[in-house]
Amino acid sequence: MEILLPALLGGLKLSAKLILIIVPLVTLFEVLRHLPVFRRAGNVVEPMMRGVGLTRDATIPLFTGIFLGIAYGAGIIIRVAQQKGLPARELFLMGLFLATCHSVIEDVLIFVVIGGNGPAILGVRLGLAVLLTGLMARVWKPA
Amino acid sequence: MNEPETSVPAGESIPDIPTRIRTGLSAGFKTSLKIIKVSVPLYVAVTLLKETPFLNLLGKVFAPVMGIFGLPGEAAFAFVAAFLLNLYAAIAVIVPLHLTPFQVTQCGLMMGVAHNLVVEGGVLSTTGTRGGVLTLGRLVIACAAGLLLRGIWGLWETAASWAVTLPGLS
Repeated sequence: MEILLPALLGGLKLSAKLILIIVPLVTLFEVLRHLPVFRRAGNVVEPMMRGVGLTRDATIPLFTGIFLGIAYGAGIIIRVAQQKGLPARELFLMGLFLATCHSVIEDVLIFVVIGGNGPAILGVRLGLAVLLTGLMARVWKPA
Repeated sequence: MNEPETSVPAGESIPDIPTRIRTGLSAGFKTSLKIIKVSVPLYVAVTLLKETPFLNLLGKVFAPVMGIFGLPGEAAFAFVAAFLLNLYAAIAVIVPLHLTPFQVTQCGLMMGVAHNLVVEGGVLSTTGTRGGVLTLGRLVIACAAGLLLRGIWGLWETAASWAVTLPGLS
């Protein structure tokens, strides 16, 4: 009993910490993501996306995945990918990028809360995603 | 985030701000319930297991593999939680283990790449035809990222310790 009670309290405290991050984050994202600024952001990121072999059509699913995550953003990712008829090459490159680098804000924050180094996690994930996807884009040439 | 997507289809009208706040809060609330359901039992289980020889034994078995990434063997348990469930589950295992800042960062990086493989593998295979390949790829990428961070962190610490010994810098 003298172990169980502190353990239970510890678990609840940890949950509270995580919840205090997640709820405002999800709410903020939901409010912001329809802003015209983000819809126009496609123009700015297009040159960067070309570097990893992606076109403008992949902007929405890619950034949804980067910020929202694969499971949460699944609806948007699948729908847009189908609507735009993204070719297999682009789907694969996008999947590779997202496999390495998705849901970054939430993932990084919850590990920072328990004592991790945020910039290190974010830096390595983003760097590796750009490197791998850029490399694959050059290996798998567009048809 | 692991909630199913509930947003409006593309082309439909944009919801007003109160609706968006409500959508966000309700999604956050659902996630919160899931966090509590997963994190509390796992945190308690690991805290109790620490009192038994089991966790120690498990740690010894996995020490050689985890050691490659600068992690203690017990961290293997957190990786299982991350691969099969999600990052909240993994965190609930990590915290009672009392890891160093580097080890927490390493877990955050490797698990950030490879987690929730069952559910997300399904999503990835619906977007592209190569979902299985990508899931396997995530495990490989996680290992690569882990080695990379270990190297970078080692260099950083070496540089930092040199900087301290330089006159006029400390």
